[in-house]
Amino acid sequence: MSKELINFNNVRKTYSVGEKNFDALSGASFTVNKGEFVVILGPSGAGKSTILNLLGGMDKATSGEIIIDGKDISKLTPKEMTHYRAENIGFIFQFYNILPTLTVIENVELINDIVKNPKPAMEVLKRVGLEMHAGKFPNQLSGGEQQRVSIARAIAKNPLLLLCDEPTGALDSQTGVEVLKLLKEQCRSGENTVVIVTHNSLIAEIADRVIRVKNGKIRSNELNTSPKKIEEVEW
Amino acid sequence: MLRRKLFREIRKNLSQFITILLMVMIGVMAYSGIEAYMAGMTIAADDFYRDNNLQDLNVMGENFTKEDLENVKKLDHVKNAERKLEINVINSSDNDKGFLASFIETNEISKFYVYEGKPFDPESKGAWVNKYYAEANGLKVGDTIKFKYDTMEIEAVIEGIIHMPDHLYTIRDEAALLPNFNEFGFIYLSYNAIPEEYIRDAIMKKLGIEDEALLKVFMPDINYKEYIPYNYIMVDVDEKANVEAVRYAIEDNIGSALAIIKAEDTVSYSRYQGEIDEGKGFVGIFSGLFLFIAVLSVITTMTRVIKKQRIQIGTLKALGFTDSAVQLHYIGFGFWVSLIGAALGLLLGRFFIGGVFMKLEMDFFELPNNGAIIELKSYIVALLVVLGISFVTYLTCRKQLKENPAETLRIELPKVKSGTLGFTTSKVFRKLSFGVKWNIRDIIRNKIRTVTAVVGITGCCVLIVCALGMLNSIDNFIKLQFEELYNFNYKITLNQGLNKDETKALTDIYGEYTSKTLGIEIKNPSGEREANSIFVYDAGEKIRFKDKDDEFMQINRDDGVYITVRLAENLNLKVGDTISWHVYGSKEFYDSKIVGFNRDPQSQIITATRTYIESLGLEYLPDSIYTDMDLKGQKDIKNVESVQDIATMKNDISGMLEMMRSMIIIIIAVAVLLGVIIIYSMSILSYSEKQYQFSTLKVLGFEDSMIRKIFIKQNNWIAVAAIILGLPLGRALTGWLFTICLEDTYDFSTYIHPLTYLLGAIGTFTVSFIVSQFLGRKVNGIDMVSSLKSNE
Repeated sequence: MSKELINFNNVRKTYSVGEKNFDALSGASFTVNKGEFVVILGPSGAGKSTILNLLGGMDKATSGEIIIDGKDISKLTPKEMTHYRAENIGFIFQFYNILPTLTVIENVELINDIVKNPKPAMEVLKRVGLEMHAGKFPNQLSGGEQQRVSIARAIAKNPLLLLCDEPTGALDSQTGVEVLKLLKEQCRSGENTVVIVTHNSLIAEIADRVIRVKNGKIRSNELNTSPKKIEEVEW
Repeated sequence: MLRRKLFREIRKNLSQFITILLMVMIGVMAYSGIEAYMAGMTIAADDFYRDNNLQDLNVMGENFTKEDLENVKKLDHVKNAERKLEINVINSSDNDKGFLASFIETNEISKFYVYEGKPFDPESKGAWVNKYYAEANGLKVGDTIKFKYDTMEIEAVIEGIIHMPDHLYTIRDEAALLPNFNEFGFIYLSYNAIPEEYIRDAIMKKLGIEDEALLKVFMPDINYKEYIPYNYIMVDVDEKANVEAVRYAIEDNIGSALAIIKAEDTVSYSRYQGEIDEGKGFVGIFSGLFLFIAVLSVITTMTRVIKKQRIQIGTLKALGFTDSAVQLHYIGFGFWVSLIGAALGLLLGRFFIGGVFMKLEMDFFELPNNGAIIELKSYIVALLVVLGISFVTYLTCRKQLKENPAETLRIELPKVKSGTLGFTTSKVFRKLSFGVKWNIRDIIRNKIRTVTAVVGITGCCVLIVCALGMLNSIDNFIKLQFEELYNFNYKITLNQGLNKDETKALTDIYGEYTSKTLGIEIKNPSGEREANSIFVYDAGEKIRFKDKDDEFMQINRDDGVYITVRLAENLNLKVGDTISWHVYGSKEFYDSKIVGFNRDPQSQIITATRTYIESLGLEYLPDSIYTDMDLKGQKDIKNVESVQDIATMKNDISGMLEMMRSMIIIIIAVAVLLGVIIIYSMSILSYSEKQYQFSTLKVLGFEDSMIRKIFIKQNNWIAVAAIILGLPLGRALTGWLFTICLEDTYDFSTYIHPLTYLLGAIGTFTVSFIVSQFLGRKVNGIDMVSSLKSNE
């Protein structure tokens, strides 16, 4: 549990808008250990989604180091970045981003095309409680169910990191709790490190580590020695 | 899995992909169909000419002897030569029916294509009849036909039904504009079928002997077959390049040769070739336009379809799919749909457009193996269309992939330049209604979408105006020829070879308004001779002329010749220049000063007054009389070959142009279909791109009817802009087509009836309006929540 997985070191990300530049991140640094359930907390525009994109190899840092499992991904070529995403990262988006023309099981099996040893799709669907809906199309599912498909697709890869961008943002509180439970179980089973980006401070109460971001800077990176159980939080 | 996704996406957006498929299909169908028709026409004739050895030269004279034939055969580069007696004969049982009868010795040149029956047999006394006449008259092998010429009457059993390479187009005489296979065909017989009595009588008449016994005294061992008055020698030259040399050699060495016509200058060959040339110009340009408009529309549509997949592209990238895997997946969208569209287009083009156009042509032209042929070129073009669309899909996808996945996962917002904001924040703009403001902003911020829609709809409007404009111009040509230039009720065509007294007897009855057309050769600027005609005019007000400005003019100068504007352009001649010409059968050349230009819609020839021709020492014996007398029902007038009333002539030429009209109508139908599909496709894309904004407006509390009005209003603006551009462009295209594509024989000026503009405008607007109304209804069904979510 103590082994360092992420070392986000003095990372700067600058965007150009027209002739002006603005820093989404200005020298952000933090570390995360393997197997932690991490919540990155901050208001809109703080830079938390930028952190997630950089961790997931979806964007490149302007400067600084991003060391994941001992490897600096900020130095990777686009091709290596694609490989990194395929092998190490499972994404869970706020609006699920599952492919509407594929069935539930097909959305999970999609991973088979890019990962060498994926988990069996049905097994993963059982884990998220969707085995009965395997043949359905996304538009036949509720929002929570769609998010669970997204989780199933992410964990089928057996990734090093599960990166979740406001995973409960589009869900009602009850469904949100179920989704968080799933993510927590996934983390506790020791298979994945989970990083959740959110502005919902309640989620921080169940996290092992809480990183607070504001104006592109890390305000704090604290270990939560006594995370609450999901049931204990008043959502 | 991605393949499954591909086909599901296509199924999900079926109407969008069907429109793409249809656009590719129609573009390829129009192109390959028209090419198949042109290739079918060209290849069928080329094969027929080659396989059946079409003669290179026709030598015309009055009595070609065996010695003449041998002398021709001995000339350098002559491979073979055959004599032929060609005469117009009348069906014994029906005076209205007749044949062009040919009596031949051998059949090595211009060989029969035997459709049914036996090949040519010189010993046979039977007949070989052309297929179209046989079909129209229910004749078959074994039937007997009987026909007469002068004092000769022949009864022959039909030995075969044939096609002939030098009779692709058969008309009774120059006065007939159109083949009528029910009344006129061609027939071949062996020289052995000519009755000896006929030859004997002809010899006696020539020698002025009335008693047969006397002839036997003069010519006791006469072989009548040697006195057949052959009037043609068909010549087969070893190589095309030597045809001209052989022609001059015959002129110099064969005294009895009155005229030598190259195969290319015969009516049969030139009419057929004219169709091909005309087709290549007219329909060739249309086919290219169709393809261009269709492909342009498909490319823009595909680009936008792929752009709509932005979030999914981002998701696939985020999941770890490689760029090439994503690219390959999206190329599939363009590739498979356009491949199916192109394959269907090739198939339908061959059978629908090509087949129908060929059938229309084959009502007039008679030749075997005349199907439409898809050539390699069409397959290559279809493949290029598929590859082009796939390539554009690739480029669009690549553009999306170039962004990093974090960027791709966000909605692309239109880039607004501060310059454009100037107008949309001005005082005037603020006073406009909400709908107008919304649409102006939308157009300014989505310029490419607007321009694409305008270009697509303009293209359709251009095609409609152009096709209708061509119909107008044809109708205008008929009106010009038969209501303005021809100012008589009847044209009487006289028999050939009448003497002065016989002619005078006819002009005494039917009037003095006459003309004569002489076959001539003119020297072109490079010194080569080409066939033409001189119209000797003595018809007063019965024939009128127009100048190059379409104003009536007088042909009254007796010190030179008038030539048509188009001929002058082709020969690069101007008023005051000299043109050199000679009449067929005479070797004397005349150098005539050009004293004026006239514009003639259907023949590009020289015109001269009778006085001028007589001043050159040429005898004027008219071949036509023009009259307003009532000659209805009069057929058998002595020394008269035919009597045509103006209405019949007009109908004949209308019939001839009917084929072109049918082709244009098919083109219009395809243009309208393509137009509807393009407008639908553009509108549905435009709607789906605006759906998010409409759902936002709905959320804000705007009524469905108002949103619908906004949507329809913008489409109407685009349609009006397209119409404003399309109408003058349509006119310009029609003018251009008439200038560059028409056969040299014709000189149509462009005429577009105001109704055409109105139809083009109303048609385009109506289609756009109906499609907008149809799609506008969808506003009612917008699910605000899911619409907004799906765009995030």
